[in-house]
Amino acid sequence: MTRRATPKLGAYAALSAFGLVAALVLGRPEIVALTAPFLLAVSVGLALGASPRLTAELEADERAVEGDEIDVRLTLAATTTVDRLDVFVRLPPGLTVVDGERARSLRLGRGEQRELELKLRADRWGAHRLGPIYLRARDPLGLFVAEGMLARTPELRVYPREDTLRRILQPRETQVFAGNEVARRKGEGIEFADMRPWAPGDPLKRVNWRATARRGDVWVNESHPERNTDVILFVDSFAEARGQDASTLDLAVRATAALADAYIGRRDRVGLISFGGILRWLEPGMGTVQLYRIVDALLDTEIVLSYYWTGIDLIPQRTLPPNALVVALSPLLDGRSVDALLDLRARGYDLCVLDVSPVPFTRRPGSGVDAVAYDIWILRRDALRHRLQRAGIAVAEWREGAQLQAAIEEVRAFRRHARVARA
Amino acid sequence: MTAYAFSGRDTVASAGGGIAGAGTLALLACVVLRFPLAIPWAVLLVGAGYVLARAHHSVVDGWAAIVGAGLLLAAELAFWSIESDRRIHEERPLVVWRSLTLTALVVTAALFGFLLVGAAAVSAAAGLLLTALGVAAAVGSVAVVLRLVR
Repeated sequence: MTRRATPKLGAYAALSAFGLVAALVLGRPEIVALTAPFLLAVSVGLALGASPRLTAELEADERAVEGDEIDVRLTLAATTTVDRLDVFVRLPPGLTVVDGERARSLRLGRGEQRELELKLRADRWGAHRLGPIYLRARDPLGLFVAEGMLARTPELRVYPREDTLRRILQPRETQVFAGNEVARRKGEGIEFADMRPWAPGDPLKRVNWRATARRGDVWVNESHPERNTDVILFVDSFAEARGQDASTLDLAVRATAALADAYIGRRDRVGLISFGGILRWLEPGMGTVQLYRIVDALLDTEIVLSYYWTGIDLIPQRTLPPNALVVALSPLLDGRSVDALLDLRARGYDLCVLDVSPVPFTRRPGSGVDAVAYDIWILRRDALRHRLQRAGIAVAEWREGAQLQAAIEEVRAFRRHARVARA
Repeated sequence: MTAYAFSGRDTVASAGGGIAGAGTLALLACVVLRFPLAIPWAVLLVGAGYVLARAHHSVVDGWAAIVGAGLLLAAELAFWSIESDRRIHEERPLVVWRSLTLTALVVTAALFGFLLVGAAAVSAAAGLLLTALGVAAAVGSVAVVLRLVR
């Protein structure tokens, strides 16, 4: 801690010196009586103003989910008496104090240890660094002050609260490992695919006795196997629209976490691409470990302003398997992300887009040129969605407050009914 | 203190009372505007007003000790008021401890003042310089004792 004299010490010392000199010059004993208290205060302050020695440690839960309450404990231990200690715990945005004070003044005796408790609420997902903690210690008369800062503080990872999805988008192509998706090819499985005449090696349990009796020859059932799929979650982090409490990026991250959880639960391989000012990717993987990797990567997603032209060429091929379903979550505000989506479609990827609508985060001007400009902007967004749909990309607008499942059902309906128009 | 300075009946005393009054107003302004650097100047003005009001008195004023202790109390309370921040929660034991410390300091200062005034009245012939040295020595000894105890 850095110790220094306060202006009060200088003021009292100056008053004392001036008073004594004035008393000598003017020959008035009363002046000495007026000065003596300040001289006494300086002397007492110098005598009692020892350097404070204390330690501080901050402990908190490491992980939480959005909306959870977190207990934070600040432990202060003093080796010497600290007559007045001001403690301030700086909190990052996204954490709110529910109980306790983050700025407090207290007194610590020699050898005393105190625990100060704070209850916080995690309002927003992210990797939050608690602190730093600012400490300011004073002597009994406030003539000296020692200030210090505890910079090494714990990190709190707040995971997004996910919506539970009943049905998700089904990829068109499957992979080789066992999973929950019914494959189009024929093999060992439960779903009925076709019938064919018996061939040597077919097991008895496959024989379709009814067809055999009708046709006079032995016929067997063929079925579709259940296979896993590859899904790539594509998060657009070029730009966002932000309201008071939430933004399009917040919605996109929560939806991505929900989709990742749903697909990994089906034993699919899930990868992640954060496409923006900072390009991040995670190769597809399976299992709970992959889910935590994806969610941890999502916590670091942020909008970084960049004018650099980024294309999907920069993404390694291993991160974009050729038969993967790409689910993109984008507010469609930046031309670079729109071009990347069209580029993906042109390369033959199975692509769906959830348009995380920025419209609820804006306000239509009442009248005038601004209102006309706003209406034109809305129309241009509709035209952009239509352009993506004509390219064969299923697009659904998802607004804040609406169920994610509703947007997913809209995309499913498009994929079910849309046909490629050939001129 | 301002009223006490005004209690004199001549023009000089009234002038002293006016200066003391200006010092009081300055101290209030320091607290309201949260400007601690002007507190010693305000205290200086009040003290100067008192001294001016006593200019034509040859007898040592016994109330000087109270005035001195009062000036210290006013300065301490002004600094405390400026330093306090509503956003920082002060624990009750700390407030009690600060109040007790301030009370002890002011009472001790008043006692020192009385000793000084008494010594000055009795040994006026010994000279002011000796008196001042005596006060400084007494205060210094208190400081040494406290340092040893701590």
